[in-house]
Amino acid sequence: MSAWTDSYLFGIVLSIAAFALGVWLNKKTRLPLFNPLLLAVVAVILALQLLRIPLDNYRKGAQFISAFLGPATAALAVSIYNQRKVLRQYFAPVLVGCLAGSVASMVSAYALCKAFGLSDELAATMLPKSVTTPIAMAVSEALGGIAPVTVAAVILTGILGAMTAPLMVKLFHVKDPVVQGVAIGACSHAIGTTKAMEMGEVQGAMSSIAIGVAGLVTVLISLFL
Amino acid sequence: MKILKQLLILLLICFAGEGIALLLPFAFPSSVISMLLLFALLLTRAVKLRQIGDVTDFLSRNMAFFFIPAGVEILENYKPVADKILPLLCVLVLTTVITFAVTAGAAGLTLWLQGKLGGKKA
Repeated sequence: MSAWTDSYLFGIVLSIAAFALGVWLNKKTRLPLFNPLLLAVVAVILALQLLRIPLDNYRKGAQFISAFLGPATAALAVSIYNQRKVLRQYFAPVLVGCLAGSVASMVSAYALCKAFGLSDELAATMLPKSVTTPIAMAVSEALGGIAPVTVAAVILTGILGAMTAPLMVKLFHVKDPVVQGVAIGACSHAIGTTKAMEMGEVQGAMSSIAIGVAGLVTVLISLFL
Repeated sequence: MKILKQLLILLLICFAGEGIALLLPFAFPSSVISMLLLFALLLTRAVKLRQIGDVTDFLSRNMAFFFIPAGVEILENYKPVADKILPLLCVLVLTTVITFAVTAGAAGLTLWLQGKLGGKKA
């Protein structure tokens, strides 16, 4: 098994198969907790563990997938560009909302980690957890956090946001669809945005803009930490 | 060839972004530089949507896929968090609610002020 899977194709094949399984299960169950990415990661880990395949064999092919993280992030520019009319109209609320939200996210993550007696390393790991994965990973690494744990925290945050967005909208009496979208995108990035899109076109557009703006604001703030 | 051409443009932009990141005196994610670069190129129409649209569509629609390897790395990194799961989950839930509330409050207030001052009701 170890010799066979020591191939560039193995990691790629396993990842695509795991993702297809995750997407399928998500569509079948329609459960927010059954997030395709979460399911795919669990499936890959289970496959490696059960069949006793070394992680390095998986990494051999997986590195080609990771190489596209940068281009996938850059592709966000196209969705923001497509929403440029909405962005121009609501530029101030989006910017102020994301600025305040990102500061609140970073400060509360750090303060709560400290309050729970967690290490500086874990605080740095949790600090960027509200923004989109590639940005959160980069910020976590720069601040001395554990990037893979940040990825897990980012995914869980996104799932939590997608699950609770309708509830939070009611709880905080957020009636304006523009404000709803910005808040969902700023607190739960792309995974939350899937929920925002279900809630309405305006919410979806504002949420996807907020992913980019909140990510950018978080990077800029982290430069001064 | 169409897809390859689109891929070439996008990857060139990202490659340039990595180069710019090396030149900066502080650590800044190259992916974000590439995003800003692409946005500027689209706004100035130096790059047109149809020149990259299919590739960026594919990447955006399958965004989650590209994070699988990063997620799997948790296999070798779960030790420092194994006994801290509960406090970490508390932090996660609380910050998500706080971030939502603060963002909604700030955006709502700005929107309201914008409506008051500009008269351009949203």
